[in-house]
Amino acid sequence: MSEITATATDRDAAVHTVRLEATNHDGSFLGKNVAPKKFAASAESGFAFADLLFGLDLGNDPTFGFAYPDWRGHLADVQFRPDMSTLMQWEPGLQSVIGDYWQTDGTPVGTCPRNLARKLVDRLATRGFTATVAVEIEATLFQESIHEARAKGYRDLTPLGGSAGTAYHLAKSKDWVDYMSAVARRLEEIGIEWEAWSDEDAAGQVELNLVPGDPISVCDAWARARQVMREVAFELGHTVTFMAKPTAGYGQASHVNLSLQRDGVNAFYAEDGPSPTMRHAIGGLLATIQGATSIVLPQITSYRRLVDLSGPPTTVTWGISNKTTAVRAVCGHPAYSRLEYRVPGADANLYLAVAAILAGVIAGLDGAIEPPEPVSDMAWCAPDLERLPNTITKAAAALEADPILREQLGDEFVDYWVGTRRWEWMQFHTAGGDPCAELSEWESTRYFEFP
Amino acid sequence: MTETTIGHATCEADAVDGVDIRIEDDASPIVRLIGRTIADSVRAHRADAVVAGVEGIVAVRSHDTPQAATISISNGVVAVSSGVFISPDVTLTVDLNARLAPVGEPAGEGDLAATSLALLSPPLPDWQVAAETFWAAARSVPGIPDVLVAVADGPDGLDQLVVGEGETHYVIAGPPELLAGIFSGADDLIAALSTGLIGVRGTLSQLSVLVAASWKVRYDV
Repeated sequence: MSEITATATDRDAAVHTVRLEATNHDGSFLGKNVAPKKFAASAESGFAFADLLFGLDLGNDPTFGFAYPDWRGHLADVQFRPDMSTLMQWEPGLQSVIGDYWQTDGTPVGTCPRNLARKLVDRLATRGFTATVAVEIEATLFQESIHEARAKGYRDLTPLGGSAGTAYHLAKSKDWVDYMSAVARRLEEIGIEWEAWSDEDAAGQVELNLVPGDPISVCDAWARARQVMREVAFELGHTVTFMAKPTAGYGQASHVNLSLQRDGVNAFYAEDGPSPTMRHAIGGLLATIQGATSIVLPQITSYRRLVDLSGPPTTVTWGISNKTTAVRAVCGHPAYSRLEYRVPGADANLYLAVAAILAGVIAGLDGAIEPPEPVSDMAWCAPDLERLPNTITKAAAALEADPILREQLGDEFVDYWVGTRRWEWMQFHTAGGDPCAELSEWESTRYFEFP
Repeated sequence: MTETTIGHATCEADAVDGVDIRIEDDASPIVRLIGRTIADSVRAHRADAVVAGVEGIVAVRSHDTPQAATISISNGVVAVSSGVFISPDVTLTVDLNARLAPVGEPAGEGDLAATSLALLSPPLPDWQVAAETFWAAARSVPGIPDVLVAVADGPDGLDQLVVGEGETHYVIAGPPELLAGIFSGADDLIAALSTGLIGVRGTLSQLSVLVAASWKVRYDV
């Protein structure tokens, strides 16, 4: 007991529960609550979780249709090992700790998102680089409580803050402001630094920016911030969703910004534009972007966002300060030179997105991959630009065939992920999804609350 | 919206007994199921007589899900695409998990409806022939067990077929007609399991791979 609280925030020694937390492959924040005594006894050795946490789909059905890796047997156990550096006080009496999944022989579970992201961070470090990551969390708020939303099948809900959607609009009603203010306060209470929040494009939509940092810490903060946004919504009697497209209107993204440092210096900076390191990083990102799309656009609904002129990128392109391209290069400043990877949807698992992005960057650096010419025109609607995969099946096929991502992320992850995406496609079509609807009821039920 | 995109119908590598059967790129399961079923039907009749002289647009709708497809028959070409976006000459409502059996009467022109129903109801092969064909297709599926043991419980008692060789075995047992349906792709393996008429013995992982194999014969994925 004393050992646990000594590493926590020290604001409340009366701990009654420790919550174990990690995302599964779909990005759902899963875990269980354990008694402090149990936590103290097993923190070193790990906690048993049934492998079904990676084996069930978002409809709670077991996924079939591909070969399972060795660790996935007959609902066998994998081990959750807490990362004690993440232990903190969530609320009085409740501590929170994030961890990773390992096999009983001590090897990482190949589909564990946090392990995978850390593997790529470590691999980047062997090249002499460290990464700084920032993420934009977009979400849509609805006036109804979660119980009302469930009763309505998550459809025909009332956007919180009015029906007009305009980016940066300050004339929002107090309920909307109260919600985001409460989120900001909760983040401060638990030690997650935020930079900004604002009205995003669609009615009820918000964007929350967390402070940039090292990739794993930012991913941890992303997972916890989304949990905070859900809990505050519950408390205030509203609803929040991170669906890629919660209504037939606007979608929502999860852009990832990335910079690399070598010896404390921004390696993407050069006076006259992209540095060679930035160019090679872009080259690697574009070489892998077709397959990586499967990872950063994980669900059926993810692909409904990809509409020309509506915001998301639709082509395999990069440009300098060009937000119509898939990769935007911000150049010319030693502090701010960075890349913005604009493909991920709000439903992407950030750990996996970071792993996929770093995989492309590392391959680009290793191979000194030169990117194509930057696009200075509009990258939408152009007849001669290569398109991003626009369905879950095309993207999965691209990932399956990508030798670079296979090498970087491992066969086990790639094969497992592709198998689960094919299962998702089959479930959508055969179990009630409507491809001809702008947004089907099946999708609302499956994706509104989870991930 | 991109899931609704209708790609250009593309020709199969070889026409089936003189009938050019096309499905769109990135086709949905219902399109794949119908395309494969029509190919089986044409093969079973060993001629293009079923299609010859018939033209029209047929809508096929699932009786219990939003799945729908359009069959276009013209000049000996049968093209299948997702959804129904033009006014059809015939509308068929079918049970996709009951071998495309009609649910209710077809709506529309009689001859075209009859031809369409014939195309969607190929005869089942003998269960042992189907098992051999299934095994040939399944061998390329990663992780497939070395040996498949099919046990038919028919009116004359138990009959068994073993295909493949090696150490890992998987057993599927059930009525001959249902085995024939599963092995030929006419029946969905998971749906068949849920009926309780089929029994399996093997690991969970092997079942997952067997599902992949069943998708291969049913949907060609």
